[in-house]
Amino acid sequence: MADQLYLENIDEFVTDQNKIVTYKWLSYTLGVHVNQAKQMLYDYVERKRKENSGAQLHVTYLVSGSLIQNGHSCHKVAVVREDKLEAVKSKLAVTASIHVYSIQKAMLKDSGPLFNTDYDILKSNLQNCSKFSAIQCAAAVPRVPAESSSSEKFEQSDLQVSSETQANNELTTNGHSPPTSKQIVQQPKGIMGMFASKAASKTQDANKETKTEVKEVTNVSSAGNKAPGKGNVMSNFFGKAAMNKLKVNLDSEQAVKEEKIVEQPPVSVTEPKLAAPTGLKKSSKKAEPVKMQQKEKTRGKRVELSDDETKETENMKKKRRRIKLPESDSSEDEVIPDSPGDYEAESPSPPPPASPPPEPVPKTEPEPPSIKSSNGEKRKRKRVLKSKTFVDDEGCMVTEKVYVSESCTDSEEELKMKTSSVHRPSAMTMKKEPKEERKGPKKGTAALGKTNRQVSITGFFQRK
Amino acid sequence: MFSEQAAQRAHTLLSPPSASNATFARVPVSTYTNSSQPFRLGERSFSRQYAHIYATRLVQMRPFLVSRAKQYWGAGIQIKKLCELQPGEKCCVVGTLFKAMPLQPSILREISEEHNLLPQPPRSKYIHPDDELILEDELQRIKLEGTIDVSKLVTGTVLAVLGSVRDTGKFLVEDHCFAELAPQEPPPALDTDRFVLLVSGLGLGGGGGESLLGTQLLVDVVTGQLGDEGEQCSAAHVSRVILAGNLLSHNTQSRDSINKAKYLTKKTQAASVEAVKMLDEILLQLSASVPVDVMPGEFDPTNYTLPQQPLHPCMFPLATAYSTLQLVTNPYQATIDGVRFLGTSGQNVSDIFRYSSMEDHLEILEWTLRVRHISPTAPDTLGCYPFYKTDPFIFPECPHVYFCGNTPSFGSKIFRGPEDQRVLLVAVPDFSSTQTACLVNLRSLACQPISFSGFGAEEEDLGSLGLGS
Repeated sequence: MADQLYLENIDEFVTDQNKIVTYKWLSYTLGVHVNQAKQMLYDYVERKRKENSGAQLHVTYLVSGSLIQNGHSCHKVAVVREDKLEAVKSKLAVTASIHVYSIQKAMLKDSGPLFNTDYDILKSNLQNCSKFSAIQCAAAVPRVPAESSSSEKFEQSDLQVSSETQANNELTTNGHSPPTSKQIVQQPKGIMGMFASKAASKTQDANKETKTEVKEVTNVSSAGNKAPGKGNVMSNFFGKAAMNKLKVNLDSEQAVKEEKIVEQPPVSVTEPKLAAPTGLKKSSKKAEPVKMQQKEKTRGKRVELSDDETKETENMKKKRRRIKLPESDSSEDEVIPDSPGDYEAESPSPPPPASPPPEPVPKTEPEPPSIKSSNGEKRKRKRVLKSKTFVDDEGCMVTEKVYVSESCTDSEEELKMKTSSVHRPSAMTMKKEPKEERKGPKKGTAALGKTNRQVSITGFFQRK
Repeated sequence: MFSEQAAQRAHTLLSPPSASNATFARVPVSTYTNSSQPFRLGERSFSRQYAHIYATRLVQMRPFLVSRAKQYWGAGIQIKKLCELQPGEKCCVVGTLFKAMPLQPSILREISEEHNLLPQPPRSKYIHPDDELILEDELQRIKLEGTIDVSKLVTGTVLAVLGSVRDTGKFLVEDHCFAELAPQEPPPALDTDRFVLLVSGLGLGGGGGESLLGTQLLVDVVTGQLGDEGEQCSAAHVSRVILAGNLLSHNTQSRDSINKAKYLTKKTQAASVEAVKMLDEILLQLSASVPVDVMPGEFDPTNYTLPQQPLHPCMFPLATAYSTLQLVTNPYQATIDGVRFLGTSGQNVSDIFRYSSMEDHLEILEWTLRVRHISPTAPDTLGCYPFYKTDPFIFPECPHVYFCGNTPSFGSKIFRGPEDQRVLLVAVPDFSSTQTACLVNLRSLACQPISFSGFGAEEEDLGSLGLGS
């Protein structure tokens, strides 16, 4: 009875499940010695062929033996199809072994699937790979984990000792290397220290220095910096004319991932220089120091963020999404302009860098009105709920409803305003905007809270 | 040999299942000593010049050459230094060879702006009819001409030349000799057949799937899964497996990522990571059944300069659980069951191949044995650590089995030395292209190649097995 069981099993595997049954696969599946598995396969083939001569069974055999080749007696081990078996056997001088390698229903063109079958079953049985083998090795005993870890510790301490002594001995020969490492360590500290200190009193010369150092910081801490958030910061300061230029630059950068941050500082650094002559000169001076502060601040924040970017940013992302969803209303109010929409689409994509931008954004958001008001034109600023579609950094299209501050007349300037109330007071104090402007964003958030529900109705009428 | 012994048992597997199946115990390790200590580097300092290696090489080899010279050319021969040479006087000089090759890649020539040269494309051989040999000793150098094969010799060889100096200032060579083989201890007498399997060039991560089945068949034969009882019994006599380098393929090196900007390659995984995982699984299967020695090779993740240090065990988390796995240096020297093994992963032989007219890797292997130096071209064209106390590549004694890995084809030869030394030379072929490994029988000091094959779609099944003609 027990004999019949394995026959039925093999029958089921081959015929019903259409599997390739190799001797190794059978040995692991049934838990038998490899030789027994080979014999089982042979037995099955014989019986099946006796019962049903039209049986669709393809068999591969393993043949091994010696052959005289190039003056050497070469031992050959080969997996052959049944039809080639006799030919190969006749060529061998001495046949060492022949046994069934595998049985399958379909004819195999090459031996690739055999390897795959064996590999798969081996992967799932890696820990006891020699359990059913014909050779058992007494010396192959797995090391006790305590032994291995203690040996690792010993090696580590060894390495530490040797590295220390090496450092002591070779300080003279390698005298140049420790100072440079110190220098590199100190450099980011210096830059971070710069960020921490109040940079409000920087002149334009200092701005240039910080620009170059910011470049270095981006080189040092390029991981985790999100490019679009940076572009968003830039957009706050430029007038119409410079916007196109910036848009063009940022459009080209949208497709690229965060690694392009290295390019951006030079781009954005050149931007103010380009924008200054073409843009509004009055605001430029004001914009630049403010921008530089915020750039540094965003840099600083981004640098800090880059340290623990992945998990926390994802959590924050999820948090923000959750906050957003209840706010979104079904009715859409505004037509989303395409090209600026694309550009803005990038900007809200990374929420954590957006948390620094919200701080500068509320600060800088009143800037354009002040810029525009300085031009002599009076424009009202209204909060409008718009939905923006963008591709976030995971490559998913996301549609978000965000409040956008825009003037009554047609304005290409749209600033994003998140309804999160994460206001960092320290950041606030760094800014040197007049108080009224500071109240502006506060009012804005309060107003937003109020007009949350009515946005869909009122927003429809605001845009004229 | 392996096959004959395997064929002695009756074939049992083409029959219904038998009640019990034989299990064989692996032959226990009787004696094993790892003598690769000279190739382990502790603290490394690269602030030294390479001249010290040559100085110590000459100092170490001089006594051997002097005794050989006296042996060949008579005891009364005058051994002189270059500074003591008199014109027209026949004498013998011991020194290091330098071969001036115009085609040798020189970084100085490449970056020199006055020549405006484009970098030279890599060639298989850099020899040229205009090459010249120069002999250097501690203080001076002199050009050689005469009966000396310029194309065959390479830089770094220490030899003794017999001749006289001409008025032109060149040395006219009449004869030359090498240090020949070092003294050898007699091999032990074993009562049973024991085998050591030599494999090199597994080439994992190479992308070609054909060699993977061959690798799996190799592992199955050694671990006793494949084959009939006779073959399994013979496989149980394999007492050790030595993997001689190039476990990873050339493709895993991803050299192009060096030229790409960092932001493009930041998130891509190195190609060697997957390959090392595969290697770990293979090593796990092997070390669960047989002691394994793993030597690094040219494409493996370890240092580039010779001697290459062992691969780090952290790369093999599964396999290092077994104490049978040993990670060793390249070159590797050990005494297995009383038989002295010495071998490299092939970088020394392939480097000599590039700068010499010798074509056969086995011939080059024999030549290094005769010169009594594992890699004379280091540090000139082959990267080497700047030793200064001793040159560890000089043979202190003659091994019984001397192998090199990653040769294009299998080769094996017994070489006899002047003092009745007997060395088995083995050129281990690259497995990823030849699907062939070497079985060394320790009792008879003979080597048998063992090759594996699957079947393909075409009718050349027999051809791929080598059975076509």
